[in-house]
Amino acid sequence: MIPALALAVGVVLGLLFEPVVPLWLQPYLPIAVVAALDAVFGGIRARLDGIFDSKVFVVSFVSNVLVAALIVFLGDKLGVGAQLSTGVVVVLGIRIFGNAAAIRRHLFRA
Amino acid sequence: MSKGEHAEGAPDPLIQRALELRGGEDREDRTRHRPRFGAMSTSLLNELMTDHLDGGYSAAAHRQKDESPRGRRKATALLAVGLLLLGFVLAASYRGTMRQAPDSERTRQALVRDVQDGSALTDSLQRRAEALSTQLTRERDAALAASRAGDRAGAEVRRLEEAAAQRAVHGPGITVTVGDASGGDRVDPGTGQRVPTPVDDNGRIRDRDLQALVNALWAAGAEAISIGGQRLAPTTTIRAAGEAILVDLRPVQSPYGIEAVGDPATLLPRFADSEAARRFQSYTGLYGIQFSVRAADDVRLRAATDPDLRYASPVPAPTTVSPSTSGSAGSSGSPGGSGSSPAPKPAGSSGGGP
Repeated sequence: MIPALALAVGVVLGLLFEPVVPLWLQPYLPIAVVAALDAVFGGIRARLDGIFDSKVFVVSFVSNVLVAALIVFLGDKLGVGAQLSTGVVVVLGIRIFGNAAAIRRHLFRA
Repeated sequence: MSKGEHAEGAPDPLIQRALELRGGEDREDRTRHRPRFGAMSTSLLNELMTDHLDGGYSAAAHRQKDESPRGRRKATALLAVGLLLLGFVLAASYRGTMRQAPDSERTRQALVRDVQDGSALTDSLQRRAEALSTQLTRERDAALAASRAGDRAGAEVRRLEEAAAQRAVHGPGITVTVGDASGGDRVDPGTGQRVPTPVDDNGRIRDRDLQALVNALWAAGAEAISIGGQRLAPTTTIRAAGEAILVDLRPVQSPYGIEAVGDPATLLPRFADSEAARRFQSYTGLYGIQFSVRAADDVRLRAATDPDLRYASPVPAPTTVSPSTSGSAGSSGSPGGSGSSPAPKPAGSSGGGP
């Protein structure tokens, strides 16, 4: 209950405050969002598997976002930013789909 | 892995024996998907394709959990903070996208507004110029009507003005409407707003299309023509600038309404029988453009804009004038003075040339 409330509050805060994303951060925001989604799907699956751990969830979420952004940042500096972005999106996308499939198996037994 | 499971479930003694020979430790590892160090490259891919869950969860599940109320509270608070952060990131990213996507649209809208304001201003100035020119014509006619020579001169001026499309005219005629093929709407994925898709190039009316239609109208006996409210004078151009069509340097928009004054009894059939009209009739089926021709009882056409005199300047008023026209000669002295002011302009432009 409290976590759900916190999520809602976070969304409302984000919508209300209209945080101005600095220009240098803007290229990393989409990657950060994909990483965050990966952490979310992983968390839901872990909850369904019965091994959810909030510390693991929060740490994986934060580190995923940071590492994904960092990889793309490094790639940008080395001239392979677009390729690394694609790589990050592919890997995280595969994980998201895998976790979504596991969640589906849990929920529908199919 | 699936092979291993299958083997474990199978009662085949040979396979059981083979698995035993390979060693229990190895088997244990395989059933728990732990990658072997010997085959790193394939195990990385394997892990990517099979192990979607963060390893931390299973590790945490094996650890001794802090099940005290304080520990649970701590975990909940941590989770709440994490979800708060998550919601914030998602919402901020959504807001950023929404703000960015309409940015270009907003710029475009501002530009469109600027253009509309500009053309509204020129329209009002144009109306004012027309009113002033009507007034000027009236005053001049009144002044010229005073003498017989002036009367003749006035008739000549009127004839020339009509020929140069410097007078508003009205009369029976036809209206031709021709327009681009209509494109559909597309929903923008970011903003969810409808965005008109650009028309296929084949279905777009070009400047030469309007030229062909106008020429066909002149050939069919039209006495005066306007496109989109722009009267065609002998020096008027119909040309393209990018994708816009300019008539007398003013943009006109699809659908283009071409109005022509002329005897409808001959103008309409002759125009309808012209090569250009037949071609456009076939284009309606081929490319989906709009094309229609109607007879109109009374077509009103504005006067064309005054041609800019860049090199010519009015002849100075004659010095021997009758007393009755001296007043008008005196008033025409100031236009003469202003008429001499354009003279330095070409000089300046020619000086800037070399």
